[in-house]
Amino acid sequence: MTTETAEPISVQPISELLDAETVQSIADEIWPTLVGDGEAFVPVPVPPPAELVSAWVDIIGPWNGSVVLTCAPATAQALTESVLMTRPPTVVDDEDVADALGELANVLGGNIKSVLPGESKLGLPQVGTAPTHGSLDDVRALVGQWRGNYLTITVQGATPAQHAERNEEKPL
Amino acid sequence: MRALVIDDSRAMRRIVGTILKDFGYEVREAGDGRQALDVLQEGYVPDLCCIDWNMPVMDGLQFVFAVRANPAYRQVTLMMVTTESETGQIVKALAAGAHEYLIKPFTADALRDKLALLGLLPEGVSA
Repeated sequence: MTTETAEPISVQPISELLDAETVQSIADEIWPTLVGDGEAFVPVPVPPPAELVSAWVDIIGPWNGSVVLTCAPATAQALTESVLMTRPPTVVDDEDVADALGELANVLGGNIKSVLPGESKLGLPQVGTAPTHGSLDDVRALVGQWRGNYLTITVQGATPAQHAERNEEKPL
Repeated sequence: MRALVIDDSRAMRRIVGTILKDFGYEVREAGDGRQALDVLQEGYVPDLCCIDWNMPVMDGLQFVFAVRANPAYRQVTLMMVTTESETGQIVKALAAGAHEYLIKPFTADALRDKLALLGLLPEGVSA
């Protein structure tokens, strides 16, 4: 009787797979093209607001986790207005904000996925309270600002329970 | 010229649609591959489809397969517009029948360059 050996699964934490400079360079490409000419994610921390909203996409593959964009609701609205190039009196609604913030997370996630080892699958964008993350060394967070407002990009490993759930999905 | 922009993000549909309209395209939108097939079956056969990859219901790759399986849509040019940037994914989409591949994020100039390559830049738009 022979036993087939499964492909080795990478157990490297994201802190060993992805450096802050790479995340920043991806943000540097996304902000001017998607948010607007001259716009930038600046990696200089400012104090976090009381209320936060997040958009994220899951990455399922050798490394399991999420790419999460977090900011204040007012910043999310301003980001949306910038992405959609709306001018007063046009206003964006909650659906627009969820959609635009989700698309930003999607583009960030897709580009981050492309620099991770192995073949992975990208989930659809979700918006709400950020998912909990696994071990602390499996987190690569860029705390910064956009137009002076708090904004973070976090690449975070899944919790053991999320790992189990995602493995059941049998990606790819 | 007519285009169909297929993306589950309204924001991205608006961005791509606005650029194409600036180039002189008539644009329709669909939120996933299934909706896009419905648009084609209604008789709106575009010159160009801009297709996101990751969408609910029917993803972009499934849409490419479905369009390529129907001879009535032989003349439709298919361009993936997606964050999926790994070589394996690009090869997969081109093998399925996509003609071009544009990775998000992109500029209006990058989209114009792709249209020029495809011979789909309307007259009067400088390449």
